[in-house]
Amino acid sequence: MRPWFRSYLLLVRWTALRLRFVLPLVLIVQVFLAVGIVIGFAYLIPGIDAATALYLATGAPTLGLITIGMVMAPQLIAQSKLEGTFDYNRTLPVPRTAVLAADLTTWLVTGAPGLLLGLLTAVLRFDLDLRISPLAVVAVLLVALTATTAGFALAYAAPPSATSLVTQTLVFVALLFSPINFPAERLPGWLQAVHRVLPFEYMAQAVRESLTSPAGGIAALPYAVLGAWCAGGLVITLRVMTRRR
Amino acid sequence: MLHIDSLTKVYRRGVRANDDISLDVDAGRVTGLLGHNGAGKTTLLHQVVGLVRPTSGRIRLLGRDPVADPAYARSACSFQPQSQAPLTGVTPRQAIEIVGRIRGGRRGAVRKRTAGLLAGLGIEEWADAPAERLSGGVRRLTAFCMAIVEPGRLVMLDEPTNDVDPVRRRLLWAQIRSLAAAGHAVVLVTHNIAEAERTIDRVVVLDHGRVVAAGSPADLAAGRDTGLEEVYIGLTGGNDSATLVP
Repeated sequence: MRPWFRSYLLLVRWTALRLRFVLPLVLIVQVFLAVGIVIGFAYLIPGIDAATALYLATGAPTLGLITIGMVMAPQLIAQSKLEGTFDYNRTLPVPRTAVLAADLTTWLVTGAPGLLLGLLTAVLRFDLDLRISPLAVVAVLLVALTATTAGFALAYAAPPSATSLVTQTLVFVALLFSPINFPAERLPGWLQAVHRVLPFEYMAQAVRESLTSPAGGIAALPYAVLGAWCAGGLVITLRVMTRRR
Repeated sequence: MLHIDSLTKVYRRGVRANDDISLDVDAGRVTGLLGHNGAGKTTLLHQVVGLVRPTSGRIRLLGRDPVADPAYARSACSFQPQSQAPLTGVTPRQAIEIVGRIRGGRRGAVRKRTAGLLAGLGIEEWADAPAERLSGGVRRLTAFCMAIVEPGRLVMLDEPTNDVDPVRRRLLWAQIRSLAAAGHAVVLVTHNIAEAERTIDRVVVLDHGRVVAAGSPADLAAGRDTGLEEVYIGLTGGNDSATLVP
């Protein structure tokens, strides 16, 4: 365990060093995004009722985590593949899981401030009264992990040019065509069916319920589905990382 | 140290990059791998370090099988890739020190060794400059330092002299010699044959994925009054029609 942890800490340091000019920008963009969804969507929808406000307030942090995990992380990995960092790291005597864990840590830490600020803005803007369950920590971590591992799997498996295109599409779909900021019932039937497989709806539900503690209790299904997505992403990522030509 | 026996690598597209290669690399010696672009030199190194899986044949590194145990290969062997090292956002000193620590070196020792290497290669003045401002040669020398700051028992260098000016190339060759003197086995790929001739103990010439000659530079010249470069051109037919492989 000790050599693994040593490698992990050094890799976190190296990733942070390499990205120290990029990460603050990512952080700022992410804060803008989370805060912007709360304020901007309120212009789009006049006369926001309590239910809509709740969706927007809890959807904003979820979208922030999706953006960082499925858009920014894979784009920087695509760039590292182009620059040769990916191949170089493969020649270093460090466990693959330590490389992955170090990357995940960097992204989770970068995502945290936007999440908190987005939520704070929503609470202030809509005068919300959240009842935050201890499960919120689990929900946020699981959503962040699922988004990031899915993003990694995409970036590692696909060529860099495709990664950029797919991530742009993903954020578009997540923002406008996913039941994150609004209830699933508003979508056509076929799209609802699609979202029963995709992780977006479950991400939103896990975050929303853990932040509001609804009377009916917190559903377990989203955690199970996100766990499965997360495991799938990890398996693909580790396989690509250890694949030899 | 390193024994390679009948190693063949055929890529999925059908390119035969290595064809029945056998060679031995000894500790304390510098082995030069020569050959045209696409002769299979990089593929050979990539198989030893575990980036490419051989199609057939055997590799033994310090008595173990790096194909079955790539993690062992990466710790026993340090490698300078042909592509430029990833230095975005870091300075040469930071990159060298962190790789030295990742390779298992202690903080104080790595710091001292890094300073020694930067001075030894005459690149101290750029040691703390952001990599974006560095010339290709200084970047290449930084990558060289990253490979040898905490060297494995086997050190493999893929075209370490590219982009480097003549004065610093001489310093680089001196560092390579001192690695061998310290008991490391060094395998290097170079097109700089005239300079390498003075440093390498053993030459292996590859052509279209096959070993066409191996021996000391003097053996290869075999009494002829020519340099290694002429011998090489004679051996490989002087053409550059090899199929390109990565």
